[in-house]
Amino acid sequence: MSFTQQKEDKKAEELLVRDFQAGNLEAYDKIAKLYQKKIYALSFNLMRNQMDAQDVTQEVLLILFRKINTFQGKSAFSSWVYRITLNASYMKLRSKKKEPNISIDELLPSFNGAGFQQEKIQDWSENTESLLFTNETREIIKKAVDLLPEKEKVVFLLRDVEGLSTENVGDVLNLTIPAVKSRLHRARLFLRKKLSGYFGASNSKKGEI
Amino acid sequence: MICCKECIDLLYDYFEGSLDQDTTQSLDEHFQECPPCVAFLNTYKVTTVLCRDTLNQIEIPDEVRHTLKNFLKEHKNE
Repeated sequence: MSFTQQKEDKKAEELLVRDFQAGNLEAYDKIAKLYQKKIYALSFNLMRNQMDAQDVTQEVLLILFRKINTFQGKSAFSSWVYRITLNASYMKLRSKKKEPNISIDELLPSFNGAGFQQEKIQDWSENTESLLFTNETREIIKKAVDLLPEKEKVVFLLRDVEGLSTENVGDVLNLTIPAVKSRLHRARLFLRKKLSGYFGASNSKKGEI
Repeated sequence: MICCKECIDLLYDYFEGSLDQDTTQSLDEHFQECPPCVAFLNTYKVTTVLCRDTLNQIEIPDEVRHTLKNFLKEHKNE
């Protein structure tokens, strides 16, 4: 999308929000249509459950409907919607039994005293094309993302999957830009390591994640 | 020459293109002489693409879309 297009979309969205705040219900329908897929996708990626994602999407759409007048336009409207979506998803997750997270540090690269890589690094980046669209590969990737600790996962989903800018992610999560960058880098390192176990294994025998 | 650890710590900014010229050059020099770091760089890059392309394919299932539509209709008449 071009920069001008983005700017125009943002303007159109601001107008919709103002119209809805003034009581125009058609504007609300348009906002709901624009955002329901984003809300559903983010909550589904966090919870990996259709029913829960549906509940959260309903709840968020209802909050948008009832609380639109509490949105003051200090941050982007999208940031506000993502923040509400995250809160609703976390409430839902908290009510369920949680599996213990694995420590991210175990999966970060290791170096010797001189700062050189200690493990053997295989370049599997060329092996992925034929595997990308198989169901097995998709499941492996989802499983790896599910294993990310919450703090890193949410930054990864907002920035790399939903495509928000670093600044907007900081805005949604109330984090500084260096903090966003550092969490995202850790998430990518973690995922790289997890996927290496699968893609880097010899072709005759696929590795387990 | 910078070591592998420094190189990997800076990968994020290297991809964003936010490093100054001298640092970028130091990384490029390191990559020329360090195949493990090149492998790391390539797989770091492809990991992001793979995960993004897998996770952003999520669509709202038809039955959920239907439920949401009815839900909105109901609540707008409150």
